[in-house]
Amino acid sequence: MKSDDSPTDDTIDGSPTGTDAGTERAGRTPADTDGGRTATDGGHAADGGHASTGGRVTAATAEGELVTPGQAGTDAGTDTDHGHGLPPLGSVRRYLITTNHKDVGVLYIVTALFFLIFGGVLALLMRVQLWGPGESLLSAGAYNQAVSIHGLIMVFWFLSPFAFGFANYVVPLQIGAKDLAFPRLNALSYWLYAASGLLLGVSFFQGASFAGGWTMYAPLNLPTYTPEVGSTTAVLALLLFVVSITVSSVNFLTTMHRMRAEGLTLRRLPLFTWTILLTAWMMLFAFAALLAALMILSADRLLGTTYFSFTEGGSLLWAHLFWFFGHPEVYIVFFPALGVMAETFQTFTGKRLVGRKWFIASMVLVALQSFGVWMHHMFLTSINLQVKTLFMATTIGISLPFDLMVFSLIYTMIKGRIRFATPFLFSFGALVLFIVGGITGVFLGAVVLDYEFRGTYWVVAHFHYVMVGGVTALVGGLYYWYPKITGKMYDEFLGKVHFALYFVGFNLVYFPMFLAWETPRRVFDYPPGLAPWHKIATIGAFVLGASFLVMFYNLSTSLFTGEDAGDDPWKYVTTAEWTVPSPPPLENFPGIPTYRSGSIDFLSEDERPALGGGEPAADGGHAAESTKSGLTDGGVADAEAVAARSGAESASTPSSQGEGHRGSHAPEDGEDEHEDHASIWPLAIGVGAFAFLLGASGFQGGEFAGGIAGAFYAWVLAIGALITGGSLVGMTRERFTGPSGPFGESWPFDGIENVKTGVWIFLASDVILFGAFIGSYVFIRVANGWIGWEPIPHDPIPGLINTYLLLTSSFSVVLAMVAAEKGSKKGVVGSLIVTIALGIGFLVNKGIEWQELLHEGLWLSTNVRTSTFFLTTGLHALHVIAGLAIAVYMLVRASRGAYLDDERPIEYFGLYWHFVDIVWLFLFPLFYIL
Amino acid sequence: MWWLTAPLRTAVVPAQSGIIPRGTMVEVFEEIYLVFLVLGTLVGVVVIGYMCYLGYQYRDTGDGSDGGDGSGGDGKKIDRPTLGELPAGSGGGRKLFTSLALSAIIVISLIAWTYGTLLFVEGAPAEGQQDFEVSVTGYQFGWEFEYPNGHTVDTLRIPAGERIDITVTSRDVWHNFGIPAFKVKSDAIPGQQTDAWFIAEQPGTYQAVCYELCGAGHSAMNADVIVMEPEKFEQWYANTSGSNGSANASSGNATNATGSGANATAGNGTSGNGTGGNGTSGNGTVNALIADTASKLA
Repeated sequence: MKSDDSPTDDTIDGSPTGTDAGTERAGRTPADTDGGRTATDGGHAADGGHASTGGRVTAATAEGELVTPGQAGTDAGTDTDHGHGLPPLGSVRRYLITTNHKDVGVLYIVTALFFLIFGGVLALLMRVQLWGPGESLLSAGAYNQAVSIHGLIMVFWFLSPFAFGFANYVVPLQIGAKDLAFPRLNALSYWLYAASGLLLGVSFFQGASFAGGWTMYAPLNLPTYTPEVGSTTAVLALLLFVVSITVSSVNFLTTMHRMRAEGLTLRRLPLFTWTILLTAWMMLFAFAALLAALMILSADRLLGTTYFSFTEGGSLLWAHLFWFFGHPEVYIVFFPALGVMAETFQTFTGKRLVGRKWFIASMVLVALQSFGVWMHHMFLTSINLQVKTLFMATTIGISLPFDLMVFSLIYTMIKGRIRFATPFLFSFGALVLFIVGGITGVFLGAVVLDYEFRGTYWVVAHFHYVMVGGVTALVGGLYYWYPKITGKMYDEFLGKVHFALYFVGFNLVYFPMFLAWETPRRVFDYPPGLAPWHKIATIGAFVLGASFLVMFYNLSTSLFTGEDAGDDPWKYVTTAEWTVPSPPPLENFPGIPTYRSGSIDFLSEDERPALGGGEPAADGGHAAESTKSGLTDGGVADAEAVAARSGAESASTPSSQGEGHRGSHAPEDGEDEHEDHASIWPLAIGVGAFAFLLGASGFQGGEFAGGIAGAFYAWVLAIGALITGGSLVGMTRERFTGPSGPFGESWPFDGIENVKTGVWIFLASDVILFGAFIGSYVFIRVANGWIGWEPIPHDPIPGLINTYLLLTSSFSVVLAMVAAEKGSKKGVVGSLIVTIALGIGFLVNKGIEWQELLHEGLWLSTNVRTSTFFLTTGLHALHVIAGLAIAVYMLVRASRGAYLDDERPIEYFGLYWHFVDIVWLFLFPLFYIL
Repeated sequence: MWWLTAPLRTAVVPAQSGIIPRGTMVEVFEEIYLVFLVLGTLVGVVVIGYMCYLGYQYRDTGDGSDGGDGSGGDGKKIDRPTLGELPAGSGGGRKLFTSLALSAIIVISLIAWTYGTLLFVEGAPAEGQQDFEVSVTGYQFGWEFEYPNGHTVDTLRIPAGERIDITVTSRDVWHNFGIPAFKVKSDAIPGQQTDAWFIAEQPGTYQAVCYELCGAGHSAMNADVIVMEPEKFEQWYANTSGSNGSANASSGNATNATGSGANATAGNGTSGNGTGGNGTSGNGTVNALIADTASKLA
């Protein structure tokens, strides 16, 4: 990593032009392969480069004038690629195998923009239909599909991924990390997202896509009412999307909690990173609930379970599960926009945020409270007055922190030097729109008014003002970070034209909806008197759509013809991404970032031991553990139906490839070890998951359809399972070095290394998953009558035996760990064999029990009692199977002498295994005794 | 959860004289909506206006007035953010909380005010108020109305000026029954029963609409609602099924007089749990009330 190049500390004027290095870096656009390569890949040579000055390079002191070490990269730029296996920036292949957070960020942004167009075209189709009352362009069925998929795409496939494109790109830079904690899982998240989006697109060609609204209310979401194969595909696509989100949440949370630069305590985090932190926590829990809902729905559709067709509560169960997810989702999509607004307001007013700590406190409060307001979406259902009152109160409660945030942004403008550059125009506009959205939301908080507004265009207009208001800020974010990402400046005039068209178009399309609020939602037939408003809205929609053409033109031509942006094209920026070149070098920083002095410095590798202040002894260990965590982000997983989810599991599953490196990883030696930035397996898993779920979509009511179509689906399913399983194994066996520590700030996970943190965070989401399954069971049982409900197994004895088997196996895992600590290979192998034997015993025993029940004619689809029993315990059994797959893998490794000097992988496996046991301790009494 | 509603109820009830909107659903809605609209517009104009004022006032004129020395116009030096600094805020807590308190007062008082109306809307009919019950069942794609005497129709006929209590359910998927003209709406959920009421003041023909996406026919899932003069309604109602005696039949065992669908009351067979259900009591008195009405009018 060392380079003998001396750093050139260029003094750069902060303005977009006039960069000394500007000419040097001219032509290194992402599209320019040769140049791009040096600018990005070679850039990290700077890292060693300025280290040779033996000191730190201080960035930023005087206003607008800064000294950056980043320019060292221009000298070192010719340095050869360190063989990270990553093709140059411009090549397509790079993007297929990259695991670098910046590349993945770009992939997310570009893909999300594609879905913006997709969803936008569906919206335009709807607006054309609404030009006048009655059916015109689209048939009724097609209109419903347009409505549903427009909603699904915009909420899921566009908004969050768009925001997380920025998060991917910017968050590691802002916190001073080289990459995310688990780079391959990051790429995996992206490819699962891409696969899910493709699957959604395919659904249109399988009869019809889902037409039951983005809220997918039961029982319209069942094959009885939406029998098309495409409907199933859309549901499965969403399922895969949720898996991607879960993997991503675990990754981001681990990164943000563990890998911050020294001095960057949680309270000091930049606001955009703060919003992403809270968003990721909300996603972790909210999407787990949606995952449960979608798993049940998929089981209903594919296997014939009867949860949502259960008359006495199936519909309400869906509504509760969906909105428990759905309300936090509102903040999940809005928070990143808020973060962009906070950043851009600070930059373009030249002021720090007013009441910053209260702003953060408000967001934390909202994030917590978001899980306690969901029934305000259900005021007109059969919930009683007391519950309505409670949720009315929590709803008002959650609106107040937003008032504070809005005022905080507004007051930040006081005494500013406000520059209405394009990013700020969009942020400013977003705040205006959000205020309108917020005020009209108060209308809905009044239950009596909500009764009238329910299901009308008032709601449509309100949430578009809020959500598309958020999009407005994110578009501002795109302009804000575009120079950083591409190194080029966009055309400011066209940017302003875009904003003008956008803002006018936005208000033309959505404001008339308030005036025509009496139109029922998702209907193309409305009172003729409202037609003028709808005509204006339709015109507005096209203006809004056209404004994006300006943006696409601007951003794509600027890629080639734009002026060089320099490190910091804006003034008054503070965050770390602006201290490095645009685009930043592969490993981001010219040294180890630290805020010890109050502003960012970059330490050389030599100075690293000084880092970490209070725990110098932990230093070596730190480095070793972190390297290992990088190495082990793959893990083992099985090719079961839940294997998709085990993407996250595998994060939690330490494979043992780190073993060989352990001990040799004092930081000094670490320089020989280069971090990897490429892996083909995430893409392969994405392809496998796509095929697997496409095949599964042909499965309905427990069987494939007959004929060629059925055979086709069956084959695709099998091939998909093979690819997925093979790729998971491949990923596990691959040697991969991720970012290595030690890290500056890791509160509250100081003593817990990355993989372990990841396991814990993943298990937290798994708790919600099982919680939702158990909650659904209890809900249905209460609706059915708790007392009259007989447990499905007549005999609790097999269940009891299984309880003992699992508990014993937990002990044997502990024994394996103890044996590893003592260095006894025999002990490790023996204990693992016992664990596996007990696990298999559990499954065999369960198999016999199920076999008997089957002979009695009891199966998944028999009735709602059997559905809950088989599905919930079946989900648990899949967790056991996944655990066994990992255990077998570990056994193989242990027999070759692994784990003896590092028992941590066994510990992590133990965490998961104990969790699975604990879940059983809840399931056994609930399903066998009570 | 009495602890939650009881104090609110006592706090609100004394204030009900005049301040809390009451009356028909239409009157209630219009009064509250107007207040919200006026206040909302006011707040919106003030806040957005203030934003624009600040944007203009503190715009970067580029003439360096607040330039090199970084002074904010009042001579005081403004500490501008610098690249690479630890993120920090700039004071202003008190101002923030004053504004928050102000907005909180507006929002909370508005919602508390409407809560009184919510209690009224959710309440049983006032003493001496005539009411008339109809069961509404949604299906793909239409509405079925069942009268206390078991008569089932797909066009709702009701007497003007009377409180109509509806109990809504669905026999297949989730619908939402609403009559925009009377500002009444209620979810139609399979297996569940929800209640709502309204008063139609003027005779005439209106439309009931479905407000929840329920399938391909959703856009056209309307039903006619015919509001009749009370005495005309009485005549019509008396001629319906002729089985006045069965008026107190609970919705579950009503006979399907018109034969408009074999499973007309399938959804009703299962009583929903956890429903408010305060509108479903007192079926037995309905006919007495109707008779009462008729005699008064006569």
